[in-house]
Amino acid sequence: MTVKWKYFIFLLTLITATIWLAVLFYPDSRLRLIACDVGQGDAILAISGKTQILIDGGPNSRVIKCLDRYIPFWDRKIEVVMLTHPQLDHYKGLIDVVKRYSVVNFITSGLDSSSQEFQVLKSQVGGRGIGVVNARSGTKVRVGMIYLDILWPSSAFSASESKPNDVKEGNTASVEETNDLGVFTSKRDPNDFSVVAIMSFKGFDALLTGDISPDQENQIITAGLAKDVNYIKVPHHGSKNGLTKQMLDATSPEVAVISSGKNNSYGHPHAEVLQMLREKDIRILRTDEVGDVVVESDGDKFWIKK
Amino acid sequence: MLAIRFVYFYKTQRSYPNGTKVRITDRISSEPIRYEKSQYLKLHGLKIYLPLYPEITYGDRVVIEGLVEKDKLKEAKLVSVSENENYLYLFRENIINFYHESLPQPHSALVAGTVVGSKSDIQQEFWESLKKSGTAHVVVASGMNVSLVAGFLISILAGIVNRKKALIFSLIGVWVYAIFAGFDAPIIRAAIMGSIAFSAQELGRLGSSFRALLISAAAMLLINPGWISDLGFILSFAATLSLILFESKVRRYVRFMPSLIKEGFSTSFAAQILIAPILFFTFGQFNILSPFINALVLWTIPYITIIGMIGGVAGLIVPPVGKLILYLTYPLTSWFTAVIQLF
Repeated sequence: MTVKWKYFIFLLTLITATIWLAVLFYPDSRLRLIACDVGQGDAILAISGKTQILIDGGPNSRVIKCLDRYIPFWDRKIEVVMLTHPQLDHYKGLIDVVKRYSVVNFITSGLDSSSQEFQVLKSQVGGRGIGVVNARSGTKVRVGMIYLDILWPSSAFSASESKPNDVKEGNTASVEETNDLGVFTSKRDPNDFSVVAIMSFKGFDALLTGDISPDQENQIITAGLAKDVNYIKVPHHGSKNGLTKQMLDATSPEVAVISSGKNNSYGHPHAEVLQMLREKDIRILRTDEVGDVVVESDGDKFWIKK
Repeated sequence: MLAIRFVYFYKTQRSYPNGTKVRITDRISSEPIRYEKSQYLKLHGLKIYLPLYPEITYGDRVVIEGLVEKDKLKEAKLVSVSENENYLYLFRENIINFYHESLPQPHSALVAGTVVGSKSDIQQEFWESLKKSGTAHVVVASGMNVSLVAGFLISILAGIVNRKKALIFSLIGVWVYAIFAGFDAPIIRAAIMGSIAFSAQELGRLGSSFRALLISAAAMLLINPGWISDLGFILSFAATLSLILFESKVRRYVRFMPSLIKEGFSTSFAAQILIAPILFFTFGQFNILSPFINALVLWTIPYITIIGMIGGVAGLIVPPVGKLILYLTYPLTSWFTAVIQLF
């Protein structure tokens, strides 16, 4: 056999091996909801088939490790990135995400931040022509088989509490229509603007809460937007300035996921919140204890993957 | 003459007393390492830690201020950074970005490391397992990668044209690779040494190749005596020397091996003889199984390098085609990462 033939056969073997690897890692159409272990911060990845939604990016590049582990190697497209609010432990990892992956759409509240890192993220998102949707309660998004119902912020709340960036004379376009990341500022705590959403996959519902505070939770409940869910991402890494008993009553989740760093300086999750969950017999899963928390659902039942 | 140059170099080497406020203006000539919260770089012998953003890349011109404390620059502040406009740097940057856009970690980092010697995006964990298994040298642009690529080229070409022409084409290939990898000092060094080792191996004149290696090493040290403590330089030199001295002997012992991995094995094993102790001293870790692990994984390096190179160039012109080509490295990098993580 000549050398030429040998390399030709090697090339064929390589192509076959690549195709086999691609097929073996082809994801099924079930929903996998993964709370990535990114330390003190949030990064939650939803995968169903070739569709991915990433909610927040954590404080560092560990989110990349999580994405690369669960997304097949040939899929470099993330359909939606939802940024709940512009605080470092929620967006810093997104800078690497938009560089490494091709992100189609950004969903956020529109709240701006003057920090240097956020300006880097803004210019990356703008420079790549990524679509930005400034969501308000009532916004519905469908990506593949996954639905997102936005519960917060409400239009009334953001209109009364914010100040649009560079208001020029005669510029009356509302913030929903711009295509920039971060279009208004506010004197309030950024947590109050956290995007809250219910993610649905057929019969499975997950409440994603960002760092929302008790006052805003009450407003969501008063507006009649809270409903029964299977899964709750405990707000604010399990801080007592987060989850309320009223929210648990209104949503009655079976599983509560807490994304916090080991021995973090804030003492998250707080004992009060853990106590509240235990009293209701809700199963608690913590990224600081088990690493990535993977919940899988076929749309009917759901289970926790080890 | 070399001795005089050394004395002159160390006499004129600037040193600053502790607490001096300095302002450094220079071009980044080694790739900054990115950690979770900071980026690390070394300039004028000073260790500098800066915030992650703005990001500094290889080849940038920077102005940095800070206070000297032993070998560190405290309270370092980035005054300004401007990108290198040189098209070879931009080319290299774009290729590295293309790898990271096309493949997941750590596969993309392994491809970027072997093809263009980029270390900045290697994640901590993966770097640890590279060091532990004694394979960290694959991501240091060294004469060894160059020899592996040349060895691969010649074995393909030998089947098509005669041996002498094959050698010439392989050397051309090596220099194309050097340009491709940024054509910076470490790469040029590696290419020179790789070419020497390789020609020696092929022409079989041990004495003259040994002399050629010493002369070229001395010439490089005349240009910059600081290179004597540069890991890339030491690895290039040691690997080349090792290949000249031991390759033909090792090859005699492995005649029984299948030809696909024989060349890779004899090359990597021969290079290991002098490289292993150096890796032990620099990385502080020595794995007794290292030659064995290297033999298991090194055969993938020329394929990864060449497929990565073709895929990278194609990707800059027609991205989808480049991506398809790069996917072919995935089984190889999977094998590589799986093997080194076993140990």
